[in-house]
Formats: sequence, C-alpha cells, structure tokens
Amino acid sequence: MKFIGVDIGGTFTDVVFADTESSDIRIHKVPTTPDDPSLGMLDAVRGLCEREAIAPAEVDHLFHGTTIATNAVLTHDGARAGMVTSEGYRDILHIGRHQRPQHYSIRQEIPWQDRPFVRRRHRLTVPERITPPAGEVLVPLDEEAVRRAARRLRDDGVEAIAVCFLFSWVDPSHEERAAAIVREEHPSCFVTTSASVSPQFREFERFTTTAMNAFIGPKMRDYMGRIGARMDEAGVAAELHVMSSNGGVATVRTVSERPVSTLLSGPAAGVLGGRWTGELSGRRKLITFDMGGTSADIGIVDEGRFAEATARDTWIAGYPVLVSMIDIHTIGAGGGSIARVDPGGGFRVGPESAGAVPGPAAYGRGGTEPTVTDANVVLGRLDRDYFLGGEMALDEGAARSVVARLAGALELDEREAAEGVVAIVNANMANAISSRTVQKGVDPRDFSLVAFGGAGPLHAVEVAARLGIPEVIVPPFPGITSAVGLLTTELRYDAVKTEFQVSSDLDLARLNSDLAAVESGLASQFRDDGVDRAEVGFERSGDLRYVGQGYELRVPFPAGDIGTAEAGELFRRFHEQHRAEYGHEFEESPIEIVNVRVVGVGHTPTIGAPRAPRGESLAAARVRSGRGVFRTAGGALADVEMTFYLRDRLPVGELFSGPAVVLQRDSTTVVPPGSTARPDEAGNLIISIEDSP
Amino acid sequence: MSDSPTTSGRGEGGNGTGRGNGHGAGRSNRPVDPVTVSVIQGALENIATEMGHKLMRMSYSSIIRESEDFGAGLVDPNGQGLAESAQSTPLQSGPIPGYVQGMLRQLAERADPVRPGDVIMHNDAYAGASHGPDVAFIVPAFHRERLVGFAVTTAHHLDIGALTPGSCGIVDAIDAYAEGLQFKSIKVYEAGRKIEPVWQILRDNIRASDLVVGDMEAQIAASRIGAERFVALHERYGSGTVESAGEAAKDHAERLMRSAIAALPDGRWQATTYIDGYLDSDDPTRRNLPLVATVTVEGDAMTVDLTGTANQVPDRPINMPLVGTVDIAVWLTVRSVLLDTAVHGHIPVNSGLVRPIRIVAPRGCLANPVFPAPTIARFCPGNQLADTVMKALAQAVPEQVSAGIGNLNVIAFSGLRGETHWVHMEIFEGSYGGRYGMDGMDAVDTLYANTRNNPIEDIESHLPLRVRRYELREDVCGAGRWRGGLGSVREFEYLDDGGGSVEGEGHGYRPWGFRGGGDGRPASLVLARADGSSAGLPSKVPHTVVAAGDAFVCEGPAGGGYGDPLERDPAQVLDDVLDGYISAKTAERDYGVVIGPANRLDTAATAANRTSRRR
Repeated sequence: MKFIGVDIGGTFTDVVFADTESSDIRIHKVPTTPDDPSLGMLDAVRGLCEREAIAPAEVDHLFHGTTIATNAVLTHDGARAGMVTSEGYRDILHIGRHQRPQHYSIRQEIPWQDRPFVRRRHRLTVPERITPPAGEVLVPLDEEAVRRAARRLRDDGVEAIAVCFLFSWVDPSHEERAAAIVREEHPSCFVTTSASVSPQFREFERFTTTAMNAFIGPKMRDYMGRIGARMDEAGVAAELHVMSSNGGVATVRTVSERPVSTLLSGPAAGVLGGRWTGELSGRRKLITFDMGGTSADIGIVDEGRFAEATARDTWIAGYPVLVSMIDIHTIGAGGGSIARVDPGGGFRVGPESAGAVPGPAAYGRGGTEPTVTDANVVLGRLDRDYFLGGEMALDEGAARSVVARLAGALELDEREAAEGVVAIVNANMANAISSRTVQKGVDPRDFSLVAFGGAGPLHAVEVAARLGIPEVIVPPFPGITSAVGLLTTELRYDAVKTEFQVSSDLDLARLNSDLAAVESGLASQFRDDGVDRAEVGFERSGDLRYVGQGYELRVPFPAGDIGTAEAGELFRRFHEQHRAEYGHEFEESPIEIVNVRVVGVGHTPTIGAPRAPRGESLAAARVRSGRGVFRTAGGALADVEMTFYLRDRLPVGELFSGPAVVLQRDSTTVVPPGSTARPDEAGNLIISIEDSP
Repeated sequence: MSDSPTTSGRGEGGNGTGRGNGHGAGRSNRPVDPVTVSVIQGALENIATEMGHKLMRMSYSSIIRESEDFGAGLVDPNGQGLAESAQSTPLQSGPIPGYVQGMLRQLAERADPVRPGDVIMHNDAYAGASHGPDVAFIVPAFHRERLVGFAVTTAHHLDIGALTPGSCGIVDAIDAYAEGLQFKSIKVYEAGRKIEPVWQILRDNIRASDLVVGDMEAQIAASRIGAERFVALHERYGSGTVESAGEAAKDHAERLMRSAIAALPDGRWQATTYIDGYLDSDDPTRRNLPLVATVTVEGDAMTVDLTGTANQVPDRPINMPLVGTVDIAVWLTVRSVLLDTAVHGHIPVNSGLVRPIRIVAPRGCLANPVFPAPTIARFCPGNQLADTVMKALAQAVPEQVSAGIGNLNVIAFSGLRGETHWVHMEIFEGSYGGRYGMDGMDAVDTLYANTRNNPIEDIESHLPLRVRRYELREDVCGAGRWRGGLGSVREFEYLDDGGGSVEGEGHGYRPWGFRGGGDGRPASLVLARADGSSAGLPSKVPHTVVAAGDAFVCEGPAGGGYGDPLERDPAQVLDDVLDGYISAKTAERDYGVVIGPANRLDTAATAANRTSRRR
C-alpha cells in the first residue's frame, strides 16, 4: 500500500510518503499558502511525486491534517451564520454561563459576546418546547414560524443556519423537522442541528458548538471541494481522509457536515505520531511533547489509548466545544516565548511570543526581546551553522545582547539569566504535564516522554527530569511527526447519547436499547462511507458521576448485553477510577450514567517501521565539540565541553553520554550531563536520565 | 469617625526581600534567586489549582460544581496567603488567609495545638470567615514534624441549619445564632481520628445533609491532597528554599501593587452609593443605606476609608464581616482596576499583593459589625461596596474603570420529596457599566462574584423546576458613548409545591452613569402566581410558600453608560437597533440617531438632531 500524508501548518506544508511493502518513508516540505492551502498541498504532492518518481495514481490513501476550521475560528473569519432556536431562549449563546473569563479584569473581552458566531439579529426564535425526561412536547413546533425565519435569514444573506432547540438530545425530531423546512426554503444554505453535532445536555456549550459548526461550515465545504479538484489535477485518485480531533480520520462527507470535529486536526496527528514513534521502540506508556515556536502540546498515551478531553474542559479561542477530542494540553511555551522582568521585579517567561516574525533576536529579523531560543544560543545548545539544517544562520551576538539586558535587569550574570529562562519555561511545561498526569492519579515516572517539534528535543530531558520521567524518545524526524502520525490513524467516529439513569433504579432494557441505537447509527454512518459493518469495531463507554455531581468520568463499558452483573462491575470501576483520579470515593452514593458513548473504528492499514538512516561510528557522526552551560547537581552552573553529533550519521545501538548535542535538519536534541543516549533499531534516539535533580 | 477605626491590615507589613527565617532542618538564610522564586511560585499555584479542580469535580451541589462558589489555597504557618486556585470565585479564595488567622487565634486561646492529621472546620464570620455558609476545611501540612503551612478549601454549602431551608435568602435571621451552625475552629479529625459526634451533629442539623456532608468530604479530600503536595514541595527543594521563595513571591506581589498605586496621582476621592436594604420595611434604619468609600493615595500606599457608611443593622443579616467580605470587596476592585488581567497578564495572588492597601471601617458600621449582629446575607451589600470603591477610583483613573455595575439577586428554591429536602440556589446575573472604548459586559456575574449559572437542561432534568425564559432584557440600558451592559430576564416555574427565598440588591437604585453617560436600570423581581395574579417583590424575601405553577420572574439590572451618548458612533447605534438591544425610538431619544426606512441610517437627520441637542 502507498500512503501520502499532508499536514498543513502555519509556516510549512509537510508531505510524507510511505510504502508499506518497502517500509520506505519520504518527506517533502513546501511553504504553506495561507490564502488557499490546497495550492500548497498540490505543489507539495506534485513535488514529492516528481522527486521520488512516484506515480500519483498508485497512491492508495491520502490523509490530510487541516487547520482550515481552526484558523476560521481563531481569526473569526467565517460565514454569515444564522440560528433558529426555541422561543424564550434567544440569547443562550450570548449569556453563556454568565461567568466572566477573568476574575480580576474590567477591560476584558468576552468572546461569545464580543465576537459571536451568530449575531443577535440572525438568531430567530420559533414556538416549540420539549421537556425532560421523556421528551413530552410542551409546545408543538410551529412550522410556519420556521418557514418565516428561514426566509428572513435567506433574505438577509445568511449562508449557514444552526437549528438549536432545548432538549433536542432527548428527542431530535423538532430539530430535524425544522432543518428540513430550512433546507426547503434555502437550499444552498449549510444547515446543521445541535443534536446531530453533539446530542448531549448543556445548552450553551451545545448551541455554541453548533453555531461554530455553521460559522465554519461553508468554508470547510468549499475547501473540501477545492482539495478534491486539486488532487484530480495532480492525478491522485486515492480517497481523501481528514484528520479529526478525536484521533481518527473521517471522510470528506463527514468532515463537510461536522467541520467542528477537525479543530484539533494538527495536534491530534502529533499525538498519533508520538504514539507510533514510542510503539516502534516497544513503549506503550507515553507522554507526547510537541514544542514549537509559540506553544507546546502535551498528550498522554496509556497502553496505546490516548486520554480524551472531558467535554467541559474543551475550549478553542475561548469558546467551549462539545465534541470528542484527544486530551491535548497546550501551553504558551515555545522557542519564541519572551522572557521579561515585570514591574514587581518578577522573572517571567511567556506566554507572549516573538512568533516567527520578528522571532528571537538570534534570527536576525529585528527581534529585540530575549526569547527561549536566545537563551539556548547563549547556553551553547544550538549550533549556529546547523540550525534548521543550516537554512537560517543564528546571530549569536544579538542573542547575547538581549540576554545581557535581561540579566542586567535581574542583577544576574548572563549565564544565570539564560539558564533561568530555560529553567522557568521547563518548569512551566513540567507543571502542564503534571496537571495531566500527577493530578489525575497517573504517575509520570512510568512513562516515556516522546519529544518532537522544532524545540521539543531541546528541552525534553530537563522537563522529564523535573517529573522523574526516566526516558526521552526522539523520533528520527522530529519536525514531521504530525505528518507521519496521519499515516497511522484509522477511520474513527464517535456517537454519544445523554442517558441520565441512576444506579439505584437502573432500567437495563433502556440502557441496552440506547447503546444498540447508538451503534446502529454509527454503523449506518460507516455504511454511507462504504465501510462494511463487519469491518467496524465498536468501543463503548459511559460518562458516570455520583448523583448530584457535575463532572463525569469516562468508564469503559463491555460489549454485548449489559445485565445486572456487568452493571455492577462498571459501577465498581467507577468508584475505583474516582479514587484514582481524585483521591477519594463515596462508597454509599448512588451513581448516575450521564451519557453513553460508542466509538466506531474502521481499521485502515497503517505503516510499519521505517528504515532509518544509520551511521557507522560515533567518531564519524561527531562534527565538533563546543562549550555549553548546565546546572550541576550541586546547584551551581558549570561550563562543560559538549560533543556535537549529526543525527543521520549516528550508529544504531551505540551508547553515548551527555553533555552532547545531536543536530539534524529539523530539530536539535540536547543530552545533558548525567544522561545517556542510544539510537535504537527503530531509528529513535532513546535518552536515559540517570538522576533527576 | 465614631468609634476608633479598625483596620484589616494583615499582620506583616514589611517589604524586605528574600527573608528566610532560618531554623529547622535543611534551611538557610540564603536569599533565593529570581529563577527559583518563579519556579516555586508556579508549583504553588499548580497545587492550589489542582485542589480547586478536584473539589469542583468531586462536589455534589450545584452551587459548588456549577456555580464554582468555592475556593482553594495554600497559606504559610502564620496564615499568610501563598497561592490560590485559578478556578474558584474571588469571594471564596480571597478570604482563606483570614480563615486561618482566625482559627489560629481561636486555637491559641484554647491552648489547642495544631497536630498532624488534624482537619479543622471553620465558619466564624467574626474570626475571618466570609459568612456562615462558606465553611473552610483546613489541613495543616507538616514536613519532618514541623508545621510548614495549611492547605485550605472553602465552599458555599447548600444549608447549614438556619431557620429556613437553604443558605441564601435567610434575610430575616435576627442574630448570628439564627443563621445556622457556628463552627469556631472545630476539629473534625484529630490527629487522624475522625470525630464522629461532630459529623453526627452535622447530619442531624443540616437539611439535604447527604449533599452537604458529601461536599464537606470532598473539601477535605482536596485539602489533604494540597497538603500532601505542599509537603512534597518542601521535601524536594528544602524548607528553607520554599519558605524564602514564598516570602520573595509575596514581596514581588507587593511591589507590583505598590508600583501600580504609585502610578496614580496622590489624592483623595470619595464616592457614595446606596443599598436597598429592606425596601418593604417600616423602619427607616433598615432601608436605603449609604455606603461611603474614601480612597486616599499617598506615594505607593492606598487607604480605603469606609467612614460614613450606614450603621450596622443589628437584627438583620446584611452586615458585612470586615475580614472575609469587606476586605475582599475592596481588594477585588483595586486589583481589577490597577492590575487588570486583560492589561497586565497573570498576577500572582498572595498576601503580599494587598499589603499596600489599608482599610478603615468604624466599628459598628455595616462594614464592621459587632457580634452577634447577623451577616449571612452580606453578599450583595459587599458587591455594592466593591462598586462604591470603583466609583471613587473612577475619579483617579477614569479610563480604567467601568460605569456603575448592576448588582445580583440570589434565589433559594426548595421543597420536600418525601422526607428529604431539595434545595437549589441560583444566582441571577447583573451587568457591567460602559468602559472607556468598550461597552459594558452583558448579563454576567459581577465584581467579587464570578459564578456560573446552571444549564437549563440540567436543572429541568433533576429538579421540579422549569426555566420558562432566559434572554437579554431589551431596550433597557444605560445610554452612553459606550453603553452599559444589558441585563437578563429569567423565569423559574415550580412544577411542585415548594418554597423560595430571595437575597438581592439593586431594586431601588440605578447603576451610575459616568462622564455624561446615562444611569442604568435597577433589577426587578415578580412572583407570578399560577392563577394569573402577580406581585412585585423587594430585593429581600424571607422563605415564602410557592405552589406548583407559580414562577419567579427576574429582570436583571442594566449597567450605567460611559460618556455622552450623542458621541456614540451612529453605526454602533444602528447595530444595537438591528440586534434588538435598543429600539429605534430609544436610538433617537437617547442617542440622537435617526433610523430611516428599511433600517437605514439617516445621516443627515442624525447630524441635525445631534447638533440641535448639543446646543
């Protein structure tokens, strides 16, 4: 099988080609074309195919990670969207949870008030009301009112309409009927309903997600159309699959209907790439650590499964998003993060970033603020000639001068200040990892840290050491881990239904029939995608909480009929998980099944281990030595002699000790004193950390 | 000034740097470097946030888990705040140092030492607690047998055994004893042993005790985790380093505040606003009560003097504890104006931050009541006090404030299912006044409250209540170049017979307009009976019987306008009309903006209208 993965980032479009038979992996990079990313994609695919003499028509699968939806949300550049909603509740989108994003601020903005996805003039109400728990109709749907609303929105130039009714997760029929009427009146309109986007309770979050879906819907639909045309142009006949936030891929049809499911397309591919990397070296418990210029993304993979975000912790650009996503924790820490002294004399690093332009002072593009990259230059950890494969020369003098200014303000010497910048940013990242591990009852000392992105391998060992993580794994091509991750995914769709059943009064027949209904819904989605039911695996789970609580824990459910014994077992598991995550359980409390969930997985073939470049000897890989600065176990700074190696010349299996720096085209790996590194058969660099400080 | 003023300056006052008070194992006097300070401060905040995260997720009652009316923090052995949870409401985290200081005083008076394994329950509003329902669970942290600090959670409990169900709307409590159980530094665990009789008293005297006791257990679990992590931090870095870093972090926060105060001109600014009190009372000393704040800036220090504020109401619970409510209200405003997060980014919150601010309140006034004056319903008066301080500061830094802010209403809904109570508290949002260059925030919790509403779909799935309407209140807002925020309209219908009580403010007074902006609008509350009759309610309603089909209809307040409405960009006025925020009639009346046929702006008529009115 031949695969192509295309990951479109802010700066570069990465293409990876893999052949499962020859275990060949080829990569190609072109600049992203922000105005129409499909152009850059076409260029990249063509360029790769020409260079490697691959016939485009022979490619079996094309996988794509896209930031179209994410950028539309971040820049608030989407369609003129409208909403048809229940009478009496016009402003759910605007009032939200009536909480201000910041406690201590007068001059703050509220994203959903200052930048609504649907302006109030386009939020029209219609008489209808469904009530819980059984879906009794309190007010029948006024179909004429829906028709009038649809016409009015059409006449106002609205291109996308979200139909959002209260309690549609109990009974979606009013929404479905209203959507049908809207389509009749406004056939070219992108129409979406809240129950089809996310049939779960919490109206503000569900309506916002649906409004966001409408806001980005037309853009995504057009983009998918253009990609199809470009691939035809390039002669690629393979079916296109798009990376979703849930760690799987979806078809063009599904993504066009639910673009909100792609908001974490890129970062999710990174977690998958990290998982694949770790598993090639036989590691099943992994923390993925993707650090770039402005931010670091952290994901957790435990025995091959990634942690999923809980619905209530999922935000994009300050808006809640109620769809399944891999739990990826992003913090504002990257090579461009700015170090400064605040008016109280405090030493801060980030979250402000110099970005790519002007970038760190060392880039020589006019940056005047000291950044993490500048500190690394001063510490001798970056190579002037090999940075970004030599494409960009580092201006060491500029880095020194901005760090010296910072040092002056702190009354520290230059090395102390530079090391401080790195120590603080590393501590921030370690805290972020701790919030996803230690704070959830997961011991990071049982995990390996997979480091990638331009800056990940530079910081990983010190971050790992702070958490007692014994090992860091650096993939062969750290800069394209996300693109590789695209080739390791599978067709994956989620379905959820709010259940609201209590353990003390459990209606097993309803539970089983709801699970069956959710599965058959998924099966038909796969059928529409041309995947046979027999090829689809289902994974069930439920969101459970003690009666009265407001936050749920995800508990795996067994396949097949759930009887009293199985139910007892899953409640027991819930108690256990509650204790593990919070340090406490309430033995006597009844438990509520809030939602049932099913993930349908359609297996697609994935790539095997790549043939990594391998060198002959350490001596041959060694390019030079140089001075570097590290903090010793005693706490003092020391000037040490470091060895610089070229990654692609390192011999497999041979151990070398820090202090060392490993150079390669898209990243730099630092092996500090006290740790040892060894390239393994899979092409990964495995760094063992002997002592944590 | 009547009696001698009381200040709530918090103990320490110095601003030395990096003081490590060196004794004990592994500690030194070495001043700690800025890198370590930053790293340890991050670790402390991480611990506090973890505590808050766990408490919120474990707790049972919506007032904690949805409204986020809880706090979590770490303090040093003297009760000086080191860090607070980012999630949590300011009125809960802010008072934590005061709770611990009050507890330390009481235990010292009893010669009862704090021991490893103790868990102390505290809610004494005259010893640091914010008010009775906000119960703290305090867990001491011992590192190598030495007390290194406390991990504390606070939370608003649904019921603590007051005279009527719930813990808000207890507006007819005549003294501290009528407000429910008083916990004056009670050990609920002593040296690791659970004190069962105390728990039995709780279960027997609190309504909905399953929920409340569950929440208390969740608080203890979260506090214990905090203490464990705090001890681990000492183990890792050494107590000397952690303590020096803690001192340095407080000094750092203090310098931040001092530099922000120093940026103000020296001067003295006074403001007065009013609270409703009991608008339906025959007794004039219970209604229309002034709150007065005089802010004085000298160099890098600030005094907020509340002299002139009405006398305490000795037998009604709208008195505000000086430590735990008044101080938090003052700090909240000063902090939000001078070190606005949107402008200054993250600011560490610890006891150092408030050292430069001195609060003066004559003993016996509303802002410094004398025991046993009741305090349980101090929430809304305290928020009004925060607004009063804003009004004073507005004169010094007009471009950093908001015009008058609409206060809140809280309703406790309750009823019986068999022999078990259900209680649900809902905070009804206010709104902000216009700001320089920005309109006011619409329909949000205001000032020291920043809770969340409960989803309609959650309420109706679990309680015999129906939310009939939840929308913005149209055509009612303070006109201004930057208009005030809009209020909300929310209706709650009872599906079963039950009861309700109300604790609110702002029915009698319009949020103040600023720099030529119009005043906002007060809130209103109506009890609409199933039979079609209805009655307007004041902002304080003691427990009232409500029948199935009856509904509370609450119209939230609208914030004051900022600047001359005739200077508002006509395009923005047109937008407001198109969005239905204001009517075309209001656009013409308040803003001089004429909107012609097909919702087109009539530029010429607008210019003429504005010119004639400016004359």
